[in-house]
Amino acid sequence: MSSPSIDESNAPAQSSSFPRKSGAWYGTLAGLIPLILLIVMIVVVFILTAVARQLVAASGFFAQQQAALMVLITGLVLAVGVYIVALVFTFRRVTAWKQGGAVVLVRAALWALGVTALLVVLPVLLAIVLPQQPAP
Amino acid sequence: MSSGRSPSGTSTIEAVEVSTTEGHRVRRVIVTLLTISAILTFAYSALSIYIATQLVYVPQKPIYATPASLGLTFRYVTFPSWEDHLQLRGWFIPGVLSSGRLTSQRTIIMVHGVRTNRADKGAGLLKLSVELARHGFAVLAFDMRGSGESQPAPLSLGYFEQRDVLGAVDFLRSGRLPFPELGRPRVIAGWGVSLGAATMLLAAAQEPAIRAIVSDSAFTDIIPILEREVPKGSHLPQLFTPGALFAARAIYGVDFYAVRPVDVVASIAPRPIFFIQGTRDAFIPPSNMGDLATAARAAPNANVQTWLVPGATHAQSFNTAGKEYVDRVVAFYTATLGQDSSGT
Repeated sequence: MSSPSIDESNAPAQSSSFPRKSGAWYGTLAGLIPLILLIVMIVVVFILTAVARQLVAASGFFAQQQAALMVLITGLVLAVGVYIVALVFTFRRVTAWKQGGAVVLVRAALWALGVTALLVVLPVLLAIVLPQQPAP
Repeated sequence: MSSGRSPSGTSTIEAVEVSTTEGHRVRRVIVTLLTISAILTFAYSALSIYIATQLVYVPQKPIYATPASLGLTFRYVTFPSWEDHLQLRGWFIPGVLSSGRLTSQRTIIMVHGVRTNRADKGAGLLKLSVELARHGFAVLAFDMRGSGESQPAPLSLGYFEQRDVLGAVDFLRSGRLPFPELGRPRVIAGWGVSLGAATMLLAAAQEPAIRAIVSDSAFTDIIPILEREVPKGSHLPQLFTPGALFAARAIYGVDFYAVRPVDVVASIAPRPIFFIQGTRDAFIPPSNMGDLATAARAAPNANVQTWLVPGATHAQSFNTAGKEYVDRVVAFYTATLGQDSSGT
């Protein structure tokens, strides 16, 4: 990541209000929750799209296309909505941890969020990087 | 960073202030990264879905003429595709023997190309059907799904369309034929042009009842063609092609990456294949024919012929070579399917 490194070693000692939640793992997991939710929702949306396509197959191509598109687009918009809400909640938690002086938690969660940003854009990066051999 | 810039001996309050500033900076950077990544990916997905819907939808062209307009007897047929039972429309033209008798002993399934139909004026499909019928071969010419008068369906460039060819074979073997007095075909062969040729190869690899194949201007693999055509058609950069193909799979269940006749063509042996392509084909480069022939010859008992038609552009070999095209194709079918015995 090109972002500045997270070092809050000069921050006050961690508050006793986070006695059992001060591990880096917990912070990382909390930071990854939006990504996990996004992935789960996208997988569910793809499954539902396939189911919708099969259910209306007998009604013909146009009905099938309409159903599949509706499920896919609605699902993706919902997934993005859930992702944004999860990010807002995660940042609120990070703020609370910071105010409580839970440096390790804050650092881990912010790293996880940085990784989330990279993973979310990964399909686009792969589409740019992966070679194509168009016919002449 | 903050620890490196905090000299030892700095008071705790100053250190906390520095740390807080750094923390805010880091947080701002991460929020920016998250926002940019979400916008980029969302925009990429939306455009990919749009391209996919454009890629698979082709308006159906009406049939402009019938074999009757060229003086031949024919009847309309409707039969279901294999597996998904889409209704396909076509016509059955009995072969005409030199005695004037009609025959269906040797029946050729004719498959058109993309964005056209069973009459395909551009490639001269109706004219070729009539020529073959006049040489004693019955012809089953039909519209693939989403084309002509057949049931609308996504254009899958061979992925689903091979079921249409398999449906045509089933129809000839067990369907209600329009000329029952002629009996069932003794042998079935296939002819396809462009997408139809690739589809015919994919179907023949699964269906041994297709005894001989003429493949005019087939592609080896659809992906390089899509990688060239999708950016042209969408006016968007190449990077959207994989996204559009993935979206097509999600929305329509079409796996374009599986449309590779070159992978299956060897399994057609020992049944004979006649590959034809124009030397000036700019849409599917002539090297495709060479690659397909090489792949087909990999089988130990392969029976492969090739013909590069000088000066012919894409799917124009019949229009360019005319009588020579008919003579070569008729000779190929006669050699591989045998003579018609119904008149004897």
